[in-house]
Amino acid sequence: MRKLAMIPILLLLLFMTACSGSASGNGDYPTQNIEIVAPASPGGGWDLTARSLEKVLSGQELVKQNINVVNKPGGGGEVGWKYLKSQDSHSLAVNSSLVLTNNLLGQSDLTYKDFTPIATLATEWQALAVPADSEFSTASEFLEATKADPASIKIGVGPGLGNDDHLSLVQAASEFGINPSQLNFLVYEGGGDVVTALLGGHVDAVTTSLSEVKDQHLAGKLKILAVSSEKPVKGIEDVPTWKEAGVDMVFPHWRGIMGPPDMTEEEIAYWDEKLSKMVKTDEWKKILENNDWEGFYKNSEETKAFLQEQHDLYKQLVEDSGLVN
Amino acid sequence: MDVSSFMEGLSIALEPMNIMWIIIGGFLGTVVGMLPGLGPATAVAVLIPITFSMNPISAIILMASIYYGAMYGGSRSSILLNTPGDGSAIAATFDGYPMAKNGQAGPALAISAVASFIGGIIAVVGFIFLAVPLADFALKFGPAEYFLLMLLTLSAIIALSIGKMVKGFLAMMIGLALSTVGIDTQTGVYRFTMGIPHFSDGIDFLIVIIGVYAIGEVLYNFLNIDQQKKEKKKVGKVWFSKEQWKRSRMPILRSGPIGFIVGVLPGAGGTIASMIGYTTAKQTSKNPDEFGKGAVEGLAAPESANNAASVGAMIPLLTMGIPGSGTTAVMLGALIMLGLRPGPLLFEQQPDTVWALVNSMFIGNIALIIINILLVGLLVKILDTPAKVLYPLIVMLAFIGTYTLSYSTVDFFLLLVFGLFGLMMKVMDFPIAPLVLALIVGADMEQNFRMAVLSSNGSLGIFFSSGVSIALLVLTILSLFYPLILKLVKNKNNNKTQDDEVYKSS
Repeated sequence: MRKLAMIPILLLLLFMTACSGSASGNGDYPTQNIEIVAPASPGGGWDLTARSLEKVLSGQELVKQNINVVNKPGGGGEVGWKYLKSQDSHSLAVNSSLVLTNNLLGQSDLTYKDFTPIATLATEWQALAVPADSEFSTASEFLEATKADPASIKIGVGPGLGNDDHLSLVQAASEFGINPSQLNFLVYEGGGDVVTALLGGHVDAVTTSLSEVKDQHLAGKLKILAVSSEKPVKGIEDVPTWKEAGVDMVFPHWRGIMGPPDMTEEEIAYWDEKLSKMVKTDEWKKILENNDWEGFYKNSEETKAFLQEQHDLYKQLVEDSGLVN
Repeated sequence: MDVSSFMEGLSIALEPMNIMWIIIGGFLGTVVGMLPGLGPATAVAVLIPITFSMNPISAIILMASIYYGAMYGGSRSSILLNTPGDGSAIAATFDGYPMAKNGQAGPALAISAVASFIGGIIAVVGFIFLAVPLADFALKFGPAEYFLLMLLTLSAIIALSIGKMVKGFLAMMIGLALSTVGIDTQTGVYRFTMGIPHFSDGIDFLIVIIGVYAIGEVLYNFLNIDQQKKEKKKVGKVWFSKEQWKRSRMPILRSGPIGFIVGVLPGAGGTIASMIGYTTAKQTSKNPDEFGKGAVEGLAAPESANNAASVGAMIPLLTMGIPGSGTTAVMLGALIMLGLRPGPLLFEQQPDTVWALVNSMFIGNIALIIINILLVGLLVKILDTPAKVLYPLIVMLAFIGTYTLSYSTVDFFLLLVFGLFGLMMKVMDFPIAPLVLALIVGADMEQNFRMAVLSSNGSLGIFFSSGVSIALLVLTILSLFYPLILKLVKNKNNNKTQDDEVYKSS
């Protein structure tokens, strides 16, 4: 009897192995719930990107599987990305230029080459803003004054040196012939603190994301001197781009998504298909508008090349900034 | 203030659906506030997917009610179990827990709910009339002023450690030392991270709170678990006496505005508000000796302050789009996704949204006092729970709460380390609050000091350069030397009533 009882168990085991075998074998990806890692606490840009992806991919039924956003804050993305590296292809993580700069600044062993590029999704633009009653009314006036005496002008930035807010001004300054390592930065905890410091007159200028200062500019509480976009930004057409202000630079603050190493061609193709559809939905466009983001979609192939090109640019900027020797 | 928008807002807030959200949010907030580690920020983040399908006004009403609901709930576990769930609930342990030990758990829970209610209502009224001028006032706070505000908060440690001053300062030094772990924001240098990326953002003070209070308390009780069985704990009535009310009334009314103003300052928040509320109450009290031993006003004052602060924190969020606390940061993200962008244009473009929120806070506070008074009878039963059930439960909640902070198991080790540390402190009779307090304000205090000095090119004169900073300095000095002065006065003159009046006005 005992031997007979073993038979159904054996059959069951066989059945189970057959199932798992077929699941990983053919092109049925994804077979489980999708996990999107936001390598930051709830509330920031990475978290918003991850939750927007969840909202549109699930809401528009582009992806049938459940999508969960997981927050893994710490180390400027390091904790979340390290986690991603150990996961299978059902986990993806949001990224931005920090995936390049953490390594360039010597803060991380991970490089962008440790992951599978999936897509670049959206970008914000950087802004240089001064108080409403500032003596500077154009970006070149500001840069001239800075060139004359870099130490006298306090520039607010947050939450840390080496981020896009900081490096965008580093690039503008070096294009203008200023040694960026001489700029006098005060580092605040976050974008919001930077803006309050400017409104309260505690700093002379700030470099931050456009969305942090756009409404304040419209309300006349401060002045934006330049934006880092290619063309003037909708709603604030009066603000010149850096190019119009005489500094040859376009600086996107992009966000994208990447997967763990060694994803298969089919898996990458799956996301290329889904994400290229997603960025065309009205729902996604609405989110871009609400956040003052701009569509910046690049598929996996383009993203790979883009990351390479950005890596070289950031390497130069980090060296110019004087953060590493 | 615009009356028609105000009435419009009131009618939106009174819609049955919105009242339902207020009650759900308030109840949920009370519950998460009670549990160690689970705070309003986590609760709001978990609810974000649900708010996707809501209209933005209902969403902001729901999220705000969770926020101030947690302020009501936060003190419950402080009073009953000596385990605060958040920084703003620490002050409630000072006198709340001794009250519960003296058989006054019922009155303690009731008075703290009433104090929260009054603080909340004071702050909502303040919001209606003062939102815009106060937002401008908050902008005057530069690095120097923030540094001095935090120094004033730390001076509360003196008031807390009377009788064991050396131990209090040692605990504070350890807290300040711990606060230096992590990336130094001014230079980007990694300090004491030991190569562990998890430490780069510093040691989360919530883990330390849960460790030294909750785990430490459990371990401490474990040491003398046999003695506890014999005593039958009394819980007292579920309402407070006239005498208790008379003593708490003025401290509650004083702490409300204090908490509200501190709450408006981005980054200050409930912890600082409740500490300043507590020391003010102690220093203006006729019987400061009773503080720390179960003085009812020592519980009421910080409770009023922290709830007022949670309302005040809405002001920078709504008028400038700047989140003043962790919870409001999460709310800001969720609201932007719903197409509602808090900021300088919100008051002009969508005044009804702002006033609907303000009115919902009125209704919410009324709902919350009812919820919390009804819960008193149920909650005091926790004290009757056998230790073998209660303590494992606390440990489990402590671990869950810790995990939700950053979803990392590294934090468990920290939790255990600080649990043992907390036990050691209890056994050696060190005050715990100075350590936690110093850890909470330490990092910001240091960064603000350095930014202030950087921006003045090395001159310390910046700390005396504005009216606000001088006022803060005077308050700090008064708070530091008050016990000394009091002692001198007592020694010199037994007829102290006259002199006491003088210091009361400080």
